Amino acid sequence: MSARPIIEIKGLTKVYDLGQVKVPALRGIDFKVLEGSYTAIMGPSGSGKSTLLNILGCLDRPTDGSYLIGGDDVSTMSDRQLSRIRGERIGFIFQSYNLIQQLDVIENIHVPLFYQGKDIDEYRNHCEKLAELVGLSDRMDHRPMQLSGGQQQRVAVARSLVNEPLMLLADEPTGNLDSQTGEDILEMLDKLHGEGRTIVMVTHDDEVAERAERVIHLKDGLIDRDICVGKPVMATPVKANEADEGESKKVRFRVKLNREEKD
Amino acid sequence: MLGFSVLRVIQVGFKSLHLHKLRSALTMLGMVIGVWAVITLVAIGEGASQDAQEAIKRLGAQNVLIRSIKPLDQKTQSQGFSFTSEFGLKNADASRIRNTIPGVKRVLPILQQRKTAVHGRSEVDCQIIGTFPYYPEFTQARIVAGRFLTESDEREKTWACVLTIGMAERLFAGQNPLKETVVIREEREGSKVFRVVGLIEERSTADKMPQDEDPSGKTIEDNIYIPLATMKGIFGTLDVDRSAGNYKAERVELSEIRVEFNDADQVLSSLPLIRDSLNKGRDGVKDYEIRVPLNELNALKQQKERDTRMLLYIACISLLVGGIGIMNIMLATVTERTREIGVRRALGATQNDIIVQFLIETIMLCLLGGVVGVLGGWGFAEFRHHILEITTIVKEWSIIVAFGLSGMVGIFFGLYPAIRAANLDPIEALRHA
Repeated sequence: MSARPIIEIKGLTKVYDLGQVKVPALRGIDFKVLEGSYTAIMGPSGSGKSTLLNILGCLDRPTDGSYLIGGDDVSTMSDRQLSRIRGERIGFIFQSYNLIQQLDVIENIHVPLFYQGKDIDEYRNHCEKLAELVGLSDRMDHRPMQLSGGQQQRVAVARSLVNEPLMLLADEPTGNLDSQTGEDILEMLDKLHGEGRTIVMVTHDDEVAERAERVIHLKDGLIDRDICVGKPVMATPVKANEADEGESKKVRFRVKLNREEKD
Repeated sequence: MLGFSVLRVIQVGFKSLHLHKLRSALTMLGMVIGVWAVITLVAIGEGASQDAQEAIKRLGAQNVLIRSIKPLDQKTQSQGFSFTSEFGLKNADASRIRNTIPGVKRVLPILQQRKTAVHGRSEVDCQIIGTFPYYPEFTQARIVAGRFLTESDEREKTWACVLTIGMAERLFAGQNPLKETVVIREEREGSKVFRVVGLIEERSTADKMPQDEDPSGKTIEDNIYIPLATMKGIFGTLDVDRSAGNYKAERVELSEIRVEFNDADQVLSSLPLIRDSLNKGRDGVKDYEIRVPLNELNALKQQKERDTRMLLYIACISLLVGGIGIMNIMLATVTERTREIGVRRALGATQNDIIVQFLIETIMLCLLGGVVGVLGGWGFAEFRHHILEITTIVKEWSIIVAFGLSGMVGIFFGLYPAIRAANLDPIEALRHA
């Protein structure tokens, strides 16, 4: 059984219109990300890395080409529909954590669910379990200001999982952390990958990229190299989780946009 | 958005406002002051108006007051040298009104003269008021001790007198004046001795107006009431004033006639009749003036409506200023929280979600300011009413209007910053320092 593609990108281009000049940032990119894979995207600045990340995160729309996430083409969706896709299918992990200052740990973890109309009281248990998972069970009522950078990033990881996304999208997740704390976060991502999560990570750090099974190098808006460095996808599934995880993923996979929402 | 999420947004709003307590408080200040001003000004205006209305009502909505005034031509003649001017209302006027005008219930004649009252070593300038026993019913004066003048006092021309409280204090210095005597000095006839039978308290504002032209500045607290018949008998109708060094004498039969109708509805329609009746035998000399409390009451009510409208304009302006201040701060807040907006957008917030969040925060600021303003204004009004004892009445509508306006200001001035926040590009917002 081959893994389903989470991401399918075909002929993706992005041109920034700066008025007098048009700057091409992506000039035709094709790749797929399979379910359960761990992909790193690398490239020097100006390679189109950030642009690709924004499009992968449904924060921006491509100029041309198609981008399917979970089987739905999001390249032509409205802002409202994109918000919904972001909230339901993507778990963001940012370089600078990006927690909301006035909310405590549990409330921060809950934010993506809030925008799906899910009340915190019903999902408090769920959020607390995630806080435990990232080792912050004793800090659940702390504000971001009261946490170290590493702890904040762990909250961000918990938050990225709360909506059971199709993929985790990490943007330089260790960029603001010292090496030891960064290592902790990377181990956490390894563990999540081991449990069958799909991870796409943007980084400029070769050591960090080595964690991934596959590294896509961008250069001048094109894919320069696409290297599988790790074990083949799903070669060693975690037995204990395989059955039920696979099952629930199938269910998750069927989540399509509500037809009514497509306007 | 669903109901619970609005509640949650309000919770988050509280947290955001709490995060910047000082800023929130200062931002609210404009609203607080605006609402405070509305409540307090309306309450003060209402209190003053009610006082004035009470005063006029005490004169009686069913009453007409006719006063003697010195005609213009005689005023000029009497300047500079001794001259006795004769003018004003006559006893005949009173009886003609009582007998010929339909609907008249009672007529109260009043004769007023300036004299000096003496008790022991106390000498007090005062107004001697000769009138009928039902005088207190017309002026709502309160009998504090003893009794007022009676029918038999009038019939038998007794030498009984009633003092106002102020008069009693000045003459008797705290001693009980009942059964004591008061000497009223009279140049031509000699001094007269009266026995004090009662004390009354005039409602100050009620009687201030009939005497407001008193040149010697005597207050209504310095009155001595005696039977009208006694007064006519001993003092006659000549009122002599030696103040300011020149001798001035006026012969006035009645200083004032108060006409009470059975019903307030009859007052306005009867005014021409009263005027006709008074003009008979006067050869066009205008030596009286007619005061109609009912008209004054209506005029006062109209004035109050104008005042209230003006207050509302002022209030609207101050709320507008407060609203602009709030908008200013909210725009700054949106800039400051750009990153948060980007994060929320990345995590699934739609533009509408962002609008709702910032709009609700602005409305909360305004309503919180409104609550503080209402409490402050209300508290101040109560303080003024109960502690300072100046009539101040908080009107329910002013609270509703102030509160409603502050909410509307919140929506109006919150919308623009909220839309600005929602229109931020999520990518730019996330990159924002």
